[in-house]
Amino acid sequence: MSSIELKKVVKRYGAVDVVHGIDLEIAEGEFVVLLGPSGCGKTTTLRMIAGLEDVSDGELSIGNQVVNAVAPKDRGVAMVFQNYALYPHMTVRQNMEFALRPLRLARSETDRRINETAVLLGLDELLARRPSQLSGGQRQRVAMARALVRTPDVFLFDEPLSNLDAKLRTQVRLEIGKLHKRLGTTIVYVTHDQVEAMTLADKIVIMQDGHIEQTGSPQEVYTRPRNRFVATFIGSPAMNIVPATISDGKLVGDHVSVEIPERFKKRVQAGQKVEFGIRPTEISLLDGAEQATATARVEVTEYLGDEALLDLRIGSQELIAEVPANQCPAEDAEVRLRFNPEALHIFDAETGMSLENQAR
Amino acid sequence: MAYIRKRNRKIFLIFMMPAVLVLFGTTIYPMLYAGYLSFRSYDLAKLFVPRVYVGWANYREILSSSEFLHTLIVTFKLMAMTLSVQLVLGVGIALLVTQRLPGMGVARTLLLIPMMISPVIVGLVWLFLYFPELGYLNYFLSFLGLGPYAWITSTDWALWAIAIADIWQWTPFVMMGTAAALTNLSPEPFEAAKLDGNSPFDVFWRVTLPQIRPVLISLMFLRAIDAFKIYDIIFVLTKGGPGDTTEVLSMFIYRQSFTFWRMGVGAAASFVSLVIIVVLITLFFKSLNRDPHQA
Amino acid sequence: MNRPNRRQAVLVYLLLAVVLIVFLTPIYIIASSSVKPTPIMFQKPPAMVFTPTFEHYTQLFATRPFAKFMLNSLIAALGSTVFSLTFGSLAAYAISRIRHKRMNDVAFWILSMRMFPPIAVVVPYYIIFKASGLLDTPLALIIIYSTANIPLTVWLMKGFFDEVPRALEEAAAIDGYGLLQIFWYVTLPLAAPGLAVSAVFCFIFSWNEFIFALMLTGSNAQTVTVAVMSFWSSDAVQWGRIMAGSFIILIPGVIFVLTCQRWLVRGLTMGSVK
Repeated sequence: MSSIELKKVVKRYGAVDVVHGIDLEIAEGEFVVLLGPSGCGKTTTLRMIAGLEDVSDGELSIGNQVVNAVAPKDRGVAMVFQNYALYPHMTVRQNMEFALRPLRLARSETDRRINETAVLLGLDELLARRPSQLSGGQRQRVAMARALVRTPDVFLFDEPLSNLDAKLRTQVRLEIGKLHKRLGTTIVYVTHDQVEAMTLADKIVIMQDGHIEQTGSPQEVYTRPRNRFVATFIGSPAMNIVPATISDGKLVGDHVSVEIPERFKKRVQAGQKVEFGIRPTEISLLDGAEQATATARVEVTEYLGDEALLDLRIGSQELIAEVPANQCPAEDAEVRLRFNPEALHIFDAETGMSLENQAR
Repeated sequence: MAYIRKRNRKIFLIFMMPAVLVLFGTTIYPMLYAGYLSFRSYDLAKLFVPRVYVGWANYREILSSSEFLHTLIVTFKLMAMTLSVQLVLGVGIALLVTQRLPGMGVARTLLLIPMMISPVIVGLVWLFLYFPELGYLNYFLSFLGLGPYAWITSTDWALWAIAIADIWQWTPFVMMGTAAALTNLSPEPFEAAKLDGNSPFDVFWRVTLPQIRPVLISLMFLRAIDAFKIYDIIFVLTKGGPGDTTEVLSMFIYRQSFTFWRMGVGAAASFVSLVIIVVLITLFFKSLNRDPHQA
Repeated sequence: MNRPNRRQAVLVYLLLAVVLIVFLTPIYIIASSSVKPTPIMFQKPPAMVFTPTFEHYTQLFATRPFAKFMLNSLIAALGSTVFSLTFGSLAAYAISRIRHKRMNDVAFWILSMRMFPPIAVVVPYYIIFKASGLLDTPLALIIIYSTANIPLTVWLMKGFFDEVPRALEEAAAIDGYGLLQIFWYVTLPLAAPGLAVSAVFCFIFSWNEFIFALMLTGSNAQTVTVAVMSFWSSDAVQWGRIMAGSFIILIPGVIFVLTCQRWLVRGLTMGSVK
């Protein structure tokens, strides 16, 4: 087990920076997920940790040792590749053996490790097969086994589930989670799938355009997004964002006006241009006489089973609300809405930064 | 890969070195040597010792001699004859063997055999067929009411005799490349054209041909480069004769160098042929017009 | 391209039959003439039924050291194949993996080396080999054939190396293998079909070659193609022996066509048509 530390790490191709001086600390045994849209620099960051890409600037340490110039094999890392990178001309056993050979272990130790790992991942029946004779899920497990058998200090995953179908993805995701609990190895895991990130991570690192937008636990990034990008990136359907101006202690937008929650009052000034955010689940329909936040027209309803998604129009603004299916109104109906003030987020219109008191 | 590339730049260069050195030693050096020889004259008694520097005399001699110009004309005439027939026949046969009918794969395979035969054997078997009085070709043609022709002994037919042997050997090459290109075409444009009610001829001319044109151009350049070097078949069939009817550039070089032992003149002619081939090769690479990493 | 109807199919088969007859007759003639008794060699109409004789083959080996010529051809062809495969695939690997803008030029330069007319360099070779005592030795042919075979191998193997996923090599690098080990244990085995195809092409090209063998060898290193040609002389053409020798020479090529024709396109067009 090792900790990992990135200090102002830059990756540059020619004159183009694809990773802009990121700082990141990963504790021993932590499960860290690098999350972001494609091209955000997450895979490049992972490959720098692996040693497959040089660090252009800054300092990368693994286990308190600077490894900028250390070869991949001497970093104590193992990696599971997106397309598994299994050697097609070797059997499952030979794939694992090939990963072990540079360690120059005794024959008996090699066999013991291979068998143990195979049992752990349920591959013991498949050791004599070649990758072409395996299903997608089995190949994925072989890729993990091949990384695991070397008992690395750090485990790197590059979008390991992206080639599996939805059902298998859920299953393997659970297995990876269990594996981490059992082994306690430090894991750095790259994905663009927020469900994977939310379910697996101790810590999520959200990246965009080569910058880290926020680092935090799944709860933190969900409930206290540091900026508009994180707020809209995490959560599905995405958080609604409404432009508004501060006026008379209220957030005033187009055909909508919301009381400013107490915790923001000291952080805004009258006339300030802001955007407020509200998750679809925090919008509720009113049937009584309570004070409504806004009135909206239902444009489309999408029935999902327990819930229904409503495409709402308020003036020029479109919002999505998620309501219990039994409350689902008819299309074209006028509905009265309430936004949960506790769940309201306010962002500076210009910088996109949250006005909430940030822990970090 | 970045890591592997970076740490091993030297090893990669070492990997390349032997091949590059061998090629340099076996092609560039002899070419330079040929260039050097082309400015020398030889004493017949001391055959392999370059003697006198003669400046551009060898070049002046060949470029002003009607004999050399004649060989160039013959070379390009032969090229035009073989390429045009190979293109038409090759594309035609390719259209046959790409039909969705049973047995086409076998036919395609059998048609490839001529290409893998040594040009010397090709020359010999056609010599057998052309052979004056005895050969079977005139016998076969008599059933079609043609001939008899004095294939290799008449100035009218000798060049065609060579062309036919080359066409026989290399039409399969054009067929094979075209058939590969045809099978790689996506079927949608054809279906669309058919739905629009176009005749098969229109479909071929306006849909098929434009799509396989790049491949045809590449194939034609490869054939042109080979046709320019043609030697073996002529050596077997006519040795340049009768007279100088079939004396192509390669024969000219051979004769100057090894029959008349005028190696300076031979080298000068070699150099002219190198210039022409460089032009052809450059045009070929241009015709590929794509990154060689994908080519 | 949908399925032809019955009338079209008949037309296709008829045309194809004509094409096949035209293109296969010369090969049939080589095979049949090699076992035809000399008196009926040119009989018209051609004798289709006759008692095959192997006298041409026995004569071939009795009147000339044809076995030795075959051995010479074999040595030259195998030698050049091994040589070209070794150097060619190493260079191909480097060209496939180095990303540099000059790399295209190097690749094209190597390819162009194959296209130069042999006759244009045969004079310098003659002089160089004579001076170095390599004239009329198999080594001279091995060197010269490699000049054509290395470019072919480079281009074919580059295509195959390009298709080996980089992630496999990276996985091996993380596991602690160096470049040479990665090349040997991971990349090369995965490009093995390419090696086989290149080997066959190199072999057949060398086996079939005529001009260099004619001009650079004498009685010692003479190859089969030159030997067969020597049965042709203006006073007495020994067609039986020529056909017997020709048949022996064309066997490797025919076997190649029948066993791995799907690679032929790639090899003969040097990857410009896949």
